[in-house]
Formats: sequence, structure tokens, C-alpha cells
Amino acid sequence: MKETLEEINRMQADGVIGRYAIGGAVGATFYLEPVATLDIDVFVSFRKMADGPLISLSPLYNYLKARGHETRGEYIVIGGWPVQFLLPGGALCKEALEEAVETEVEGVPTRVMTAEHLVAIALQLGRAKDHARILQFTESGILDAVKLENILSRHGLLEKWKRFGYKFLEGKP
Amino acid sequence: MSAQMRAISGSKRAMRRQLQALPFSEKIALLEQLRDRCLAIANNPLRRRTSLTVGNLKERDHGRIS
Repeated sequence: MKETLEEINRMQADGVIGRYAIGGAVGATFYLEPVATLDIDVFVSFRKMADGPLISLSPLYNYLKARGHETRGEYIVIGGWPVQFLLPGGALCKEALEEAVETEVEGVPTRVMTAEHLVAIALQLGRAKDHARILQFTESGILDAVKLENILSRHGLLEKWKRFGYKFLEGKP
Repeated sequence: MSAQMRAISGSKRAMRRQLQALPFSEKIALLEQLRDRCLAIANNPLRRRTSLTVGNLKERDHGRIS
């Protein structure tokens, strides 16, 4: 993982990508016990094309391929880890990327989404594994309830959170 | 819940709390071990002989665990 993060940091320093933040299972591991995963989800802000509003992923792919990293489907393998680079599709992911916390892995600086943003994104996605992750977070007791409620409210997820509570938390979200 | 089950449940919660409190670097090292084990299990030829199960479907889905 150290090599993976060093390479992503180098790509950022070289101006290929803007800010980035780790999400998904690896991001959740920052707060919870480690959970098995085979890949890393990295949310990135990309540079815009000079002559239009379109965002291009090709500089990222070209940069990494030139440095000898192979692509595997939607992943790029860096330091033995398949990495999926994701654009922050909506306002919630954009905010999560912006407000990510700084940390380090074996001395390598990196950024991880906040626990509350990871929960909100998981709620928005709503797959079975996302529900399991939300339950892990609620059971861990590390969530800031006020911060989470503000995020859910800002992004229209309060009703979904209430439904999740009735279904999985005995009506006590 | 029986006393034995309560003890097991409590012990599991304690272990999760202990793992949760580890530094991120140590948790990443554990994550890498978990990944290697998942890959070893997924690549085991015995696993491929089983009939169609949810596990098989996951394996077909690029072996993605989470």
C-alpha cells in the first residue's frame, strides 16, 4: 500500500490529478477493524480540459501507463493493489473529497474521507455491503451524530436514513 | 441468550474494539494479509468444483469481495 500511495502522491505533485481521498473499504478501515477487500477506491478531482467543461481521465491513465502500471478492467494496478479512480459524481462525494482528513500510512501522507461521509455515501449507494458497513460504523460508536445528521440533511438522505433505522436498527437511527 | 453466548459475543466486541484502535498503518498491514488470504482461497482449485453458489457468483464478479 505504501508504494501505491507514494505513486498517487507523485501523480498529484506532478499536477495530473488534484486532491484525492480514499473511500470504500480501505477508507472504512481507517475507522473500523480491517475488512477484506481486493481493491482501493480513490476519489479524485481531475483537471478540466482547457477548451471545455469535460473532465478527462486520459492524462491519469497515460501517466500511470508510462510509469509501467498495467490496467485491469476499470482498475490500474499500482504496487500490487488494483486502484479504481473515481470522479466525485454528486454533491455528496464532492463534499466528502473536500473535507477528507489527512493521515499517513507508513510515513506516506494520504487523505481519507470522514466516517460520517463514508456512512452517507454507503447509504446513498444502498447495496447490501453498504448496509453492512453502515452497521459496522453505528456499532463502533465513533460517529458524530450531529455531523452525520447535517450531512444527511444537506444531501436529502434523512428519509432514507430513517428507513434504514427502522429496518436495521430497531427504529433507532 | 445464554451466559456462554454472551461471553462469546462480548469477546468478539472486545476484539473488534482492539482492532479498531490500531494505527492505520497496522490495519493496512492486516488488510493486505486478508487480501492475500482471499486471493489464495479464490484461486484454490477445490473451490472451483462446487456447484453454483453466491460465492461462485462473487468470484465471477472479478473476485471482488468488498
